[in-house]
Amino acid sequence: MLFKLAFRNILRQRRRTILTTISMAGGYLLSAMSFSMIDGSYSNVIRIFTEDETGHLQIHSKDYADKPRIYKTIDTLNVLNETLHAENHIKSFTPRTFAPALAYAEDNHAPVQVIGIDNELETDTSRLREKLASGQWLTAQPDSEGYFDALIGQGAATSLEIGVGDEIVLISQGADGSVANDLFRVKGTVGTRRSQERLNVYLPLQAAQPFLSLGPNQVHEIAIVLDDISLTDNIAAALTETLGRLVPDLTVSTWPEIQKTFYQSMQADKRSNAVTLGIILFIVFVGVLNTVLMSVLERTREFGMMKALGSRSSLVLTMILLETMLLATASIILGILIAIPVILWLTHSGFSLPDPVDLGGVPFSHMKGEFSARVMLLPAAIIYGYALAVSFLPGLRAARILPVEAMQTH
Amino acid sequence: MNEPHRQPVIKTEHLCRHFGEGETLVKALDDVTLNIERGEFSALIGPSGSGKSTLLNLIGGLDNPTSGSVELAGRRIDQMSGNELSDFRRDHIGFIFQSYNLIPVLTAAENIEYIMLLQGVPHAERRRRVSDILDRVGLAGLGERLPPALSGGQQQRVAVARAMVSEPDIILADEPTANLDSKSGISLLEVMRELNRDQGMTFVFSTHDQKIMERARRLIHLEDGRIVKDEQRV
Repeated sequence: MLFKLAFRNILRQRRRTILTTISMAGGYLLSAMSFSMIDGSYSNVIRIFTEDETGHLQIHSKDYADKPRIYKTIDTLNVLNETLHAENHIKSFTPRTFAPALAYAEDNHAPVQVIGIDNELETDTSRLREKLASGQWLTAQPDSEGYFDALIGQGAATSLEIGVGDEIVLISQGADGSVANDLFRVKGTVGTRRSQERLNVYLPLQAAQPFLSLGPNQVHEIAIVLDDISLTDNIAAALTETLGRLVPDLTVSTWPEIQKTFYQSMQADKRSNAVTLGIILFIVFVGVLNTVLMSVLERTREFGMMKALGSRSSLVLTMILLETMLLATASIILGILIAIPVILWLTHSGFSLPDPVDLGGVPFSHMKGEFSARVMLLPAAIIYGYALAVSFLPGLRAARILPVEAMQTH
Repeated sequence: MNEPHRQPVIKTEHLCRHFGEGETLVKALDDVTLNIERGEFSALIGPSGSGKSTLLNLIGGLDNPTSGSVELAGRRIDQMSGNELSDFRRDHIGFIFQSYNLIPVLTAAENIEYIMLLQGVPHAERRRRVSDILDRVGLAGLGERLPPALSGGQQQRVAVARAMVSEPDIILADEPTANLDSKSGISLLEVMRELNRDQGMTFVFSTHDQKIMERARRLIHLEDGRIVKDEQRV
């Protein structure tokens, strides 16, 4: 009966009900689109970020991530190889070494970051190979003249005024404190003059390790890509436990820990978007509040009569809340029907930005939405929450009124 | 005044209801002590502002007294909490209002059924009682109509049926015939008189209507919030 009563009550003022439903459905659509774009954009950025270089997880020697030093190495690459191969959810992983260096070519010199990479595993783990701007990918063996290959960033190539086939001399410090210097042949250039690898020089791991006086099982970093990003924390915990037993003094870091600044700015941006959306929805719901208030005030006499007949205050309150929830449900159904094609379009096609945005070194030029349970259900929960909130006080007022006072109103 | 062997169903003692304070103080009801026995067909009469409706509201637990006590079916209703009072009204008091006060979105049958739903009466029993009472008040076949589709007299009959269907101890009727034409008013009064006679149901009216006064077996005259005359009639 209560349900019937609430349902018939909302049909009393059909025009008002339709307008309120459209208003709330608009709120739902707006929220669902915003969540879709926020989640879609950040999923895209995170995917670009992690697949570009970082990976989902990284293993380092203890405190290397905070204070990188050439001698803080992982010394058991062979043991880690076995452990990481045994983990089902690891899609790929690659070892790396890092060292600052000075690069010379003829009369020019430039500070660079030397990165030793596994020429095969790196291809499976990062997008570096896709960024090859000229020349060819690294080979693990020296050429006929005994020179190892090097890939250089476009920034370094411009500063040093060199290109594919030219020689480059690198001077750095070895892990044992010795001076490291050697000559390499430029096999290709990577990225652009603005991309984050612009001042990097990539060497095959087989060359970088002896160059930096490191043994064949010594590296600075292992980057790992998982088959499902949502498993990042779980796999990190599992690896921490396993490695803690096998190889102490290693740390497993997740991508939000590695890219802390990016992650924090992303979270702040998400929060500010949520606040903005909350304010917009609040304005939408001021209109709904007005509807509920009008509906309650014009039926005060009726509520008094219901109480006179023996309805408890809670029943009157429940009926008013139920009316608003029915209205919210109708709005959400309408909103979902409109939102599904819109969000599917955003997810599959999206739209291009007039000017690409640089997010922590990652160029971002195309925005796409995301279609997920969260995108569809969170706005519904917000609509229900707001609907309950705006109907609670008018409902309480109606429920608490003394029957004799209510029945004196017209 | 009352026969000593009969138990009063309504008992008020030194009942007062004041509004405002100081110079604006209005004594709507002032020191009213009254007993109404089970099965009575009584009318509160008096000029406008004499306190008839106020007394009826206090007896029905729709308003709180400034002082004094109201006892109904042996229980002090002026001391009850909100929910206790709601449950008590539901189970012991039937109301008939001047302007019918039916729930406009419920049919006549649903309006009558409403109190039984609050009482938790089973579905089949509700249906049976609704059907019976519609017959008794002369509305057989009109149960599925919404209130706006009924005449004033028919709506008031629905209100009477609603008040009676839960078999309360007492029915309080505030100017029940005021919005009805003479014929409908008499017809409705006959229905109520019959229910009083056949089922021994207690009726208390507040009224200006001569027709009710003629049929009432007790007339309680109020003036300026006080009982000025209490007249038993044969």
